Amino acid sequence: MLDEYGNIWTYRGKWLYLLFVVGALLLPSFYIIYISFNEHGFGARIYEFTFDWYRIVLGDTMLVASLEWTGYLALGTVLAAVPMALLAAKFYKRTRYKVAFVTLMLSPLFVPADIMGSSLLVYFKHLNAFFRSLGQGLGADWLSTWFELGFITALIGQIVYTMPYAFIIILITMSRYREQQTEAARGCGATAWQAFWKVEFPQIRVGIFSSCAFVIILSFNEATRTALLKGGFDTFSNVLVSQMLNVGMSEESYAMAGTMSIVSMVVIGAILVYSMARAERLERVARAKAEPVMSE
Amino acid sequence: MSASSETAVEVVDLTKHYGPVAAVRSVNLRIASGQYFVLLGPSGGGKTTLLRLIGGFLRPTSGKVLLHGVDVSDLPPNKRLTSMVFQSYALFPHMSVARNVGFGLRLRRMSDGDIRDKVNAMLGLVGLTGLGERMPHELSGGQQQRVQLARSLVLDTDILLLDEPLASLDAKLRKDMCLELKHIQEQVGITFLHVTHNQEEAMTVADHIAIIADGRLVESATPQDIYRNPQARYTAEFIGEKNLLRGRVVSSGDGVTGIDLGYATVRVMNSGKAIGIGADVSLSIPSERLFLVDGPGDGMECLTATFVERLFLGLTNNDVVRLADGTDLLIRSLASDAAPDVAQGAQVTVAWKRGDARLHTY
Repeated sequence: MLDEYGNIWTYRGKWLYLLFVVGALLLPSFYIIYISFNEHGFGARIYEFTFDWYRIVLGDTMLVASLEWTGYLALGTVLAAVPMALLAAKFYKRTRYKVAFVTLMLSPLFVPADIMGSSLLVYFKHLNAFFRSLGQGLGADWLSTWFELGFITALIGQIVYTMPYAFIIILITMSRYREQQTEAARGCGATAWQAFWKVEFPQIRVGIFSSCAFVIILSFNEATRTALLKGGFDTFSNVLVSQMLNVGMSEESYAMAGTMSIVSMVVIGAILVYSMARAERLERVARAKAEPVMSE
Repeated sequence: MSASSETAVEVVDLTKHYGPVAAVRSVNLRIASGQYFVLLGPSGGGKTTLLRLIGGFLRPTSGKVLLHGVDVSDLPPNKRLTSMVFQSYALFPHMSVARNVGFGLRLRRMSDGDIRDKVNAMLGLVGLTGLGERMPHELSGGQQQRVQLARSLVLDTDILLLDEPLASLDAKLRKDMCLELKHIQEQVGITFLHVTHNQEEAMTVADHIAIIADGRLVESATPQDIYRNPQARYTAEFIGEKNLLRGRVVSSGDGVTGIDLGYATVRVMNSGKAIGIGADVSLSIPSERLFLVDGPGDGMECLTATFVERLFLGLTNNDVVRLADGTDLLIRSLASDAAPDVAQGAQVTVAWKRGDARLHTY
């Protein structure tokens, strides 16, 4: 083991190496952001700072519409996946079959995105065909639209994809929580909902909010499943990817990529700072608790 | 003790199964209002399960729980006239002491002023005046348990359930808190139902003790009767330091039963029990009721034994003697300089008054 106290540069070197690795990983993103603010675009000799490309991106109705759809998708996914993940995490703490349950919950992560997307596509197509023939048989036309590719199918795809992540994040936070506190609250006259809302939620909310943020980021970053399941609308990632594949990287593409990078970094950075501050506070609490308790 | 004849808690044929495992088996129990009642037994015996069934934290597999005569078997904890103190970890860490204590009152939508007054009064009762603004982690273990107690007592429920409330405290604090619990119960006058595996704790606080083992109610009586006059063999083995001898009934009459131990015959008062000749029985004798004698005396039962060793424990001597069948008997006596030394391996006569032995048929 290195003697960090013997030579201060050993200690500093370790941190410099870490900074170098993180910097190397983030460099492409920063470079794209850098280019997105250049009036002359990629490869130009002159660099002149401008917001013009962002103005163009935000003035493009198709792009704005795709941003809106992505927003709706992210919102729908948060509203569905996070409560389901929370219920799953609560169930996990009670069930005796923990390994089987975790395997079930995480199984969507073991399937590659394009295979999961195409499987869901086939599944929804069959379901739609079934409901269409059922609707025809019953004379109920409205059944024929069930499971047609569209917002709902894309939403289901997103939920399947994001729920395991939300589940893990909430479960980690929930591991600190003692179920006896819920019982104590019930013993004080609280209903099951009051016990959750007033006692459990304040202690696990950082996990719930983190999972919300993570689900939003995943919704903005996801392209493959959505492309297969979305039907008649485009998401931001779909537009960006299709633009890159069809016309290559334009100044607008850089601005779009820059927008996504900045939003992601700000959200993740905020979560990290908040989590670290909270972890430090909890550690102080734990240290205080760890002090031996003697007779009064 | 301020127990009334009214029944606060009654359980009828209460049973709880976890899959194939029976944690509580057909328990019947009555607890008088205002009594300090202790469920005592070994770990894993089912006493906490029984308490949680009474509190509504578990649903019974069969049987009933009645509180003041009302069947509450299917009601959740918040609909019962009970509150509960847990072993540990049950304070809300994100709330101050005052907010913890006032939690139940806020749920009842009492005014802030009333809550403040009641919380302060309760903190005074449990000796935590002035600590209302502290956070739970800023308190010692004993103080945290007092906050739990205050949080439960402030609700003015009729029945307080205590699940091993002193188990996580150090020995000295446990002793102090024991007395404090007893005094608080006398002050507030409500029914306390306390679960513990600690005999000394149970004897200190209880008006009445129920022995719970293997999911069953073994015996229920006052602490004095449980100690001096245990009816069940299990109780005799579990409480105090009892010597247990097994044998077969050879005679019965005039309130005295003769028991053949295989190497000697002894007689024991049968307290009106009708026991047939040839029945397998056991008798228990408290270690402090045995003594070494020079020879047989009137009303005394004697056995010949071999002296094994003497252990000096400060206040008492523990003498161990071995009977002819290899059973060791423990004799506890006050240590004094006058106690004659006995050589290891020496033949001695161990004796007890006939009335000090208890006959057990189950």
